Amino acid sequence: VQPPEKPLQAEEWNKLREDFQIPEIFEEVMLNSMIRCNSPIDVAKSLLTHLAKRNGDIAYNVLVKYLTLCVQQGQVSEIRDVYDIMKVRFKVLESGAYNLLIKGLSNSDQWKMAFTLLEEVKKIMIPSRTCYESCVKAASRHQEMKLAFELYKEMLAKDVVPTLDLLQSFFNLSRGMKDAELQKELFGVLLYLRENQIYPHKTFMRSIKLWFESIPGGNWRGRLTNIKDSGQCPVCKHQLEDSNLTEEEYSNLSERIITDVIHGTDTFRKTSPEEFEAFQTFVENRLPFDIVIDGLNVSHIKSRKMQCENLFDAVNCLAKENARLLVLGRKHMLMNSSNWKREIMKEMQDKADFFFAENISEDDTFLLYATLRSGKHCRFVTRDFLRDHKACLSDSLTRHLFRKWQRGHQISKKKSFSSVFSQQPAFRYDCVVQTTGDTWHIPYKDVFEEKYSYQVPRKWLCVQQK
Amino acid sequence: MQCANMLLRKIARSSVLPFAAQHGMKKDLFPLSRTLSLSLCLKQDKSCEPSEKLDLDEWKKVMKSSLQEEVSETVSEPKELSGLAAARETFEMWKLAGKAVPENISEEQLKTFMECPSKSAKKKYLRYLHLKELHKKNDKRKMDEKKERRLEAQDQASNTDETKKSPFVCLWSSTMDKAYNWRAAQSMIFGQPLVFDMSYEKEMSLREVTNTVRQIVMSESCNRRSVDPFHIHFCNFKDGSLYHREFIKNYKEAWGKLLITVTDQCYTEIFPKDKLIYLTADSPKVMKTFDHDKIYIVGSMVDKSIKTGVSLARAKRLGLETAALPLEKYLLWSSGAKNLTLDQMMHILLTLKDTADWKKALEFVPKRKYCGFVNKPVKELKKTLDLITTLKLGKRREEVEKQFAKKH
Repeated sequence: VQPPEKPLQAEEWNKLREDFQIPEIFEEVMLNSMIRCNSPIDVAKSLLTHLAKRNGDIAYNVLVKYLTLCVQQGQVSEIRDVYDIMKVRFKVLESGAYNLLIKGLSNSDQWKMAFTLLEEVKKIMIPSRTCYESCVKAASRHQEMKLAFELYKEMLAKDVVPTLDLLQSFFNLSRGMKDAELQKELFGVLLYLRENQIYPHKTFMRSIKLWFESIPGGNWRGRLTNIKDSGQCPVCKHQLEDSNLTEEEYSNLSERIITDVIHGTDTFRKTSPEEFEAFQTFVENRLPFDIVIDGLNVSHIKSRKMQCENLFDAVNCLAKENARLLVLGRKHMLMNSSNWKREIMKEMQDKADFFFAENISEDDTFLLYATLRSGKHCRFVTRDFLRDHKACLSDSLTRHLFRKWQRGHQISKKKSFSSVFSQQPAFRYDCVVQTTGDTWHIPYKDVFEEKYSYQVPRKWLCVQQK
Repeated sequence: MQCANMLLRKIARSSVLPFAAQHGMKKDLFPLSRTLSLSLCLKQDKSCEPSEKLDLDEWKKVMKSSLQEEVSETVSEPKELSGLAAARETFEMWKLAGKAVPENISEEQLKTFMECPSKSAKKKYLRYLHLKELHKKNDKRKMDEKKERRLEAQDQASNTDETKKSPFVCLWSSTMDKAYNWRAAQSMIFGQPLVFDMSYEKEMSLREVTNTVRQIVMSESCNRRSVDPFHIHFCNFKDGSLYHREFIKNYKEAWGKLLITVTDQCYTEIFPKDKLIYLTADSPKVMKTFDHDKIYIVGSMVDKSIKTGVSLARAKRLGLETAALPLEKYLLWSSGAKNLTLDQMMHILLTLKDTADWKKALEFVPKRKYCGFVNKPVKELKKTLDLITTLKLGKRREEVEKQFAKKH
């Protein structure tokens, strides 16, 4: 339906309603289309007046729709009136109305009222992230940075995840302010990015850069750059953080891989206790390895070639540097078949250690175990992203550790070199926001969209204090 | 109580107020001076300028005025809400906001609602209740319609002629029941065992257990009705378990009279190991034929979030043989998981037992999951399909080249 352009009289509304197919939902549909067309508020008012006169009451959902229209057009006094009416009429409101009210009021000169509303919401539920976002933004817009950060911390404490938009507004709104306390808080935001491995997008990065450069007397200078594979920043010649895990992180991760990924709820789901024990003794007797290869995965690299040939190429290529290799496979590879020639398998077994798991076991879990057990220098070869194994880990902290370890230790094949087996080097430096005190290095995404969890951005912002 | 109060208020408001507003009778109904003056000027407004001027904020006055009497009520009520009352309040608000919620909610359901861990879980639960309520209503409506039609038909029949004479007394359902029970009893002595493994309670949520039991009940009934029923065993069945509770809910007093074997023993304790075959979709082995000497085991589990390898792990632990249905071999699979419901499994196994015809048996796989039935193995078919497409593409390329040559 097309909403009318001018306020209508009751009779006119009645007529419209009667012409409508389902008169019961006429008001809702009409208000929806008003919201869509951003109709003048007076038209909606006239509809409400008509409704009130006919029924003596206006239903909650209709009021909320009207509120949406008011918020959309920033009609502050209307929002307040609706709130007054709702407050007396209903004991509590639901989150949709609260979201609208807080959003509407926080954008006006009555923004303090949004805070009282937020307090009200807290009494009955955990406020939504949009509620918090509106309030925090309102506070920082009015230079009440202290209040803004208090709220921000409160929302983190309640496990409400802030949007990038919110974080960005901190940097935008505290540009040019000289305040040591504030500076500390903003560094805290950057560290939040670090801890949660969040990468800002391009415009966010720009806000950060501008803020740094605007600090009076800070002498910060930011430049965009690409980090070399060696991990050295070309601008400030600083070496980025190592991708290696600390001892504690490393042992923590190994333990969790064994308990969560290999055993999980039932050891029999991925292997069997006997097999796992056999594998453990096998590994312990031959430690340490330099490279662990997922045999089956590597054997599918080129579909034209025989599977054992692919594996043979890989083993030959990697065996050159006197590296100790472990190839993981399944028992069916030992059966002489069109894809697996016995002679080639024999030849390979001279160059590398092989472990063959049962055909129904999952060899990836063995891959993880053997690599972790061999130590920090050991790397592994597979094209698999190991997402399902990451998902088995129960908390996000360990998942982040897993990703970090994986970035530093996984070798995968580059597509462009299809003739030779060539390896993409594992990252030597860690891809997170990092600081040394007088420098900050911040990786950022070129595009706005989410990237895949295994990808890391290659572009960096280098901020240096002169 | 609160709810009833609200309802009453609503009724009072909606029935009386329009009348009151139109006739300026507020004074008598609600002795409040402010409302009186408002409604009076409302009337005056209308009388002097019939259609030109509109008081746009009038709705606020109406809303506020109708509130006056409520304010005095609500003030006396305690402000702080706790537990169930708060849940009830949110539920009412969601209902008012037009979300998908049921019209009525029981105390028990409200508790479950309260205990949902997240907002989305709460929403989902209410939505589920809402749909359930809708289904119930629809069923009831249909039943009523049917009843009416039957009464009408009866009326007509009694009008036209007397009852027909027939050599049999009309006792269909109970005689059939007797016949079925006789067969089931025979199967308990001579029939081929079929095991339901009831050890998955820990892997399932409450709703999944409910669904499982519902599916088993359907399986049991179709087994009972078949020509040559299985001898059903419920193994690893614990008394007082969730399964047990749900079965009693479904069967009521008939639970004790079912012609099946229920035991807390494991199937490995009852049957020789080499005769057991665990049916699971994760099995690497594919079933070729139905073996009348083997004992098939079906895991009584519904996994809404598909948990791969749970039942395979169970079979591996006990060192049992496993098998999967040859779905890939006979069906051009299109979408959906390969795990079937328990009653579908039962239909398939019964048909296999009677006919050994895979085509007939696999007809019980839901149609949405596959595109068609194939006589040849799918692998071969794929090869020919590939050939056809390459031939087609090849031809097209030639055509394109020809056209290109013509133009230049």
